[in-house]
Amino acid sequence: MVLGVLAVIWLYPVVWTLTNAIKSSADIYRAPWDLPWPPAIGNIGEAWSRGQLGVALANSGYVTAMTVAIVLALSIAGAYSLTWLRPPHRAVLFILVLAPLIIPTEVLIVPLFSMFRALGLINSLPGLALTNVVPNVSFATVILTGYFRTIPRDVIDAARVDGAGRMEVLLRMVIPLARPGILAVAVLVAVFTWNDFGGSLVLIQKPDAFTVQLALSRFSTFYATDQGLTFAGMAIVILPPLLLFLVLQRGFIQGLTAGVVRR
Amino acid sequence: MIGSRTPWAFVPRARREGAIDLLFVLPTLLILAVFLFYPLVYGVVLSVHDTKGFDLTNFVGLDHYARAIFGDAVFHRSLVNTVLFTGAAVVLQTGLGLLLAVLIADVKRGRTLFPIVFFAPFVLAPVAVGAVWKFLFAPYFGIVPAVGSALGFDTLTFAPLANADTALWAIMAAFLWRFAGFNMVVYLAAIRALPREYHESAVLEGASRFQQFRRITWPLLWPQTFTLVLLTTLGTLRIFDMVWIMTEGGPSHATDTVATDVYSTAFRFLQVGYAQAMAMILLFVILLLTVLEYRILDRRADSVRS
Repeated sequence: MVLGVLAVIWLYPVVWTLTNAIKSSADIYRAPWDLPWPPAIGNIGEAWSRGQLGVALANSGYVTAMTVAIVLALSIAGAYSLTWLRPPHRAVLFILVLAPLIIPTEVLIVPLFSMFRALGLINSLPGLALTNVVPNVSFATVILTGYFRTIPRDVIDAARVDGAGRMEVLLRMVIPLARPGILAVAVLVAVFTWNDFGGSLVLIQKPDAFTVQLALSRFSTFYATDQGLTFAGMAIVILPPLLLFLVLQRGFIQGLTAGVVRR
Repeated sequence: MIGSRTPWAFVPRARREGAIDLLFVLPTLLILAVFLFYPLVYGVVLSVHDTKGFDLTNFVGLDHYARAIFGDAVFHRSLVNTVLFTGAAVVLQTGLGLLLAVLIADVKRGRTLFPIVFFAPFVLAPVAVGAVWKFLFAPYFGIVPAVGSALGFDTLTFAPLANADTALWAIMAAFLWRFAGFNMVVYLAAIRALPREYHESAVLEGASRFQQFRRITWPLLWPQTFTLVLLTTLGTLRIFDMVWIMTEGGPSHATDTVATDVYSTAFRFLQVGYAQAMAMILLFVILLLTVLEYRILDRRADSVRS
């Protein structure tokens, strides 16, 4: 009963955003709580064109894909080495990999901007992707070491006895066996990167390199009079992660809790 | 998180082998060297220099630090706000997360639906969440003033985000809505993994539900509480995005956090070296509070274990 009421309160802002997205601005002001009828589907198209959301979606998609690819490559190799190989000073390496969890990007944003300006990387989407890699590779490696450790030792030893080298063990055994964990990490990194605001606010300044978050942050100031448009923009930006989560919710939550709960 | 049981797959080995093993971690370390450790070192350099635009001019030693710590009322305000907000987030997020998890653990119907509902805001963009809650708090238009006036309070024209006394807590509400679900799923996973026997024998001995929670559930969930308190502290001390979207630190610095203060000082007022000194102080606070919490919570964990 209490839970039901709380659930309604929790869902309400999301439902409200999505219904207001297909309401005309006049209707939003006249009756902000009514159902959107007749639906003003035109909002979506107009938000898309006037807010330059098409370009922003492409930019964010590009940055997200690049970040996920780099993070997966780095964290799979790193977690493999930290669990099933024997690099020297393993404990020290682990602490270095965890450093971004303690040193947030917000603390380094000024020197990062300075450095990117000197390198001509302001407005560079690959540059933005690389800054996104730093915090993500850290938690991805933590979660993946958790998953890799659950692989029975016998399985790895048997492959080793049969003469498999490091790469073979990684590609033939570890990656296929940890596939759910890898998928969960990929989805989490994608959502975090898609939603990143602080980094792109500082490192991206040209409108044609805007990410969706930057485009959206412009909506409420530029189109302040047209709320229907603002809500349509918000709906377009929140839907991809929301749908991804609803489709993969089990793996998503398990992936996230795996790194936290296993102690 | 670093396990003690390490599966050594490849023995015996020579030094050269260890070097090859290192190659697998090396790419990560290289990225961190360029995009984390170098900016950190350069950040220290920036913080002890005057700057023109983003270029270094005079070495000023610790002047910026002294100015921030002893002479900058705005920085004091943002530091207090940051620590206060983080403290509130730790208590409220953990408390609400635990409450939700305990309630959900008991339901018969909706065992998978409820976690999804409460976790969903976590995946939404902070820019969108901030903007939506701005609308929810808007006078006349928003639901918060509307519900308030329906309950008989004079709130229809009240604007929580424009009022210096309430703005920070209005942001807290949005923050809590977005993050409580994360704490809930962590607790819920742990509660569902608890052995049933403890509660069954407690019921046989006539323990009330509150006693069961106090004596069994809460102590057994200590590892999760420990981790969540640390994670929430680390995640909240850096808070920038939702605050920036909702208030930009206003009205009159009432919601400024160190991160928003650093951003406006560097990128609006171009006091770059000074802004970086404030950022370094924030990093110091993060390290200090993390170590402090770790030690206090760890001692508590020992007493729970014994």
